[in-house]
Amino acid sequence: MTPRNNLPPGKEDYSMKKAFVLALAVLATSVVAASAQGSQTASARSLASFNCSKTITLPFVTPLTGGAGFLGTEQMSWAKYAVKTLAPGLGLKVKLVGGDTPVEQGPAPAQTLAQKYIGTPSVLALLGPSTSGAAAASTKTYAAAKLAHISPSATRTTLTKTVGGTFDGSQAFFRDVPGDYIQGPSDANFMINSLHVKKVVIMDFQEPYSLGLAGAVDSTLKAKGVSTIRLSAPNTTTDYSAYVTKVPSDADIVFFPTQKPGDAQTFAQQLIEQGKKAKVFGGDGSNDSSQFKQPGSYVSNFAPDITGIAADAKLIAGWKKDNAGKAVGSFGPPSYGAVQIALTAISKACKAGHGSTTRLAVFHTFKKVSIKNWILGGSFKWSTKSNDPLNAKFYIFQIQSNGSYKLVG
Amino acid sequence: MDQFIQLTVDGLTLGSVYALIALGYTLVYGVLKLLNFAHGDVFMVGTFAGFGVLQALGGPASPKVPIWLVIILVTLAAMAVCAALGVVIERFAYRPLRDAPRIAPLISALGVSFFLANSMQLLFGATPRNYDLFQYHAGTLYLRGLHIGGVTVPLLRIITIVAAFVLMVILWFLVNKTRTGKAMRATSFDREAAAMMGIDIDRVIVFTFILGSALAGAAGVMFSLRVPTNVSIGFIAGLKGFIAAVIGGIGSIPGAMAGGLILGFLESYIQGYVHGAHIPDGTQWSDLYVFSVLIVLMLFRHQGLLGRPDIRKV
Repeated sequence: MTPRNNLPPGKEDYSMKKAFVLALAVLATSVVAASAQGSQTASARSLASFNCSKTITLPFVTPLTGGAGFLGTEQMSWAKYAVKTLAPGLGLKVKLVGGDTPVEQGPAPAQTLAQKYIGTPSVLALLGPSTSGAAAASTKTYAAAKLAHISPSATRTTLTKTVGGTFDGSQAFFRDVPGDYIQGPSDANFMINSLHVKKVVIMDFQEPYSLGLAGAVDSTLKAKGVSTIRLSAPNTTTDYSAYVTKVPSDADIVFFPTQKPGDAQTFAQQLIEQGKKAKVFGGDGSNDSSQFKQPGSYVSNFAPDITGIAADAKLIAGWKKDNAGKAVGSFGPPSYGAVQIALTAISKACKAGHGSTTRLAVFHTFKKVSIKNWILGGSFKWSTKSNDPLNAKFYIFQIQSNGSYKLVG
Repeated sequence: MDQFIQLTVDGLTLGSVYALIALGYTLVYGVLKLLNFAHGDVFMVGTFAGFGVLQALGGPASPKVPIWLVIILVTLAAMAVCAALGVVIERFAYRPLRDAPRIAPLISALGVSFFLANSMQLLFGATPRNYDLFQYHAGTLYLRGLHIGGVTVPLLRIITIVAAFVLMVILWFLVNKTRTGKAMRATSFDREAAAMMGIDIDRVIVFTFILGSALAGAAGVMFSLRVPTNVSIGFIAGLKGFIAAVIGGIGSIPGAMAGGLILGFLESYIQGYVHGAHIPDGTQWSDLYVFSVLIVLMLFRHQGLLGRPDIRKV
């Protein structure tokens, strides 16, 4: 057998090794150079002047496809309506674009989209990411570019606060809904005080949203002497029969913080199928009355049912005109609010800059925004301690026999 | 004991759906040596077709015809839609590539998979669809059934399991006792020799796609009777069906049936029984255990449980 390239035996391996080391060195140099260039570019872009009479691109990073696609679709419909109705009044030309982050694909799409949007000069602020995992994966990239982003649904506590040394957020991350540090204790206290629970099964789905919320509920319940059992299912699970088998017959509640409301419905039905008396208690991710409708179950959410707020009647009528046949859910209205905050910040920054602005200026203006007539009722102000809304709370609903959600806590 | 019975019923229900999906993979692979990765999305289309027919028949709460007839009509409609889809896929995505290198149809299959998932989302949106048979007579199909020990096997599970086995028996009969089935087996054994013996290969391949896709449609309905569906459901279902086919021995019909059931039972028992302070919990890490078993199986029996070893003349 003749060695390739007529090299003597042994030399072939040596030249391969040399080529490999050379390639590695070139790659490492390129990476270092690209990183340096990247940080320089991000910093330069935060100061790049933008003429406010030009069209501003407003990206919304949310799951538009996959199991949580319903969430992004609802959010986009409200964001679209907000841009249509609010931008002209603020003297802005805005183009809303969707960035898809299917929950099944993990954090990768959010990171890719972050790179794309910080490289787009017409992006002055951003909506989302809608899910906690995607927000945690990309917020530091936005922070480096001083690009403020506001999520209407990422509730993970560590996105705005440090807990046990963990902080997943950044100064660029804002949200207009309260975090799980309010949701977890609210849900747990309701279970203790109103439902008088003795034993609770707590599920998680091996992704940041459910892990954070499950942990918050678990610690509050344990601290108050309630017995808890943890079960964990992969995020791709569709049939929960085997998990239902593990629910003790004397459990009062199964806390089920899914982002797929249909799964909460399946779990509730499979509990009944196996003769278990426990009721399902979902978090904000399962708040969808068209999918999760098992009577007796509970749902908590960061937004009230805005159809009950008289001041929102005109706004709801306008949205319904554009979205015929669709029901007003709980994920949409905070998205309207997020657009309102982002556009108000841009408008203020533009005025301060006499017709031009920078990402950095918008970033600094974000925290100065307050809204007098807030879509979720009352007014909106930022907390002085974190990038969370001031005095926000969670609402607890019980599903009635006709499938409607009744406010119970 | 009750937990064992419950987990066995869970495994049987899950496994029978996996088996139906696996049969589609194995039939196409047997005849064309093609891994039809679009099969999972054909299954997804079946779930949506069934949902549409269910709504057309008045929905689960107030069906226009008796519920048993609703389930039969929904299943048949999904099978028909999927069979037609299978024919179209074969004609436009695979037939032109029949003599191309084997990687080409494989890439085409992946392309069809994404095309179907995205087209369905464009047409029907991302919102999950729930057959919601719980609404029928206040949950009768969930609450009534066969009592074994302290466990009730609900009617809906009995329907799923029985329907899957009836379909498997019909398939076995078609493949082993009919002229077309004989032609399929001949084509699978040696396509060129079969053509020389006067068998219309194109017709056999189309028939294979009709059978496999119809089974995916039926599996879609069996699955969605109990669990909501969405446009991305095909990926996981297809993956599980493919794994079941590989466990059983891809290309082997009894192997696909056995592989599906084994996978269903494995998942169920692991989730139910594997737990302890010093080992990963089965509910959390069932995929880790299931895939470890698969790797060990492949190491010791490359061709799967009932597959034929790939013997080549040298």
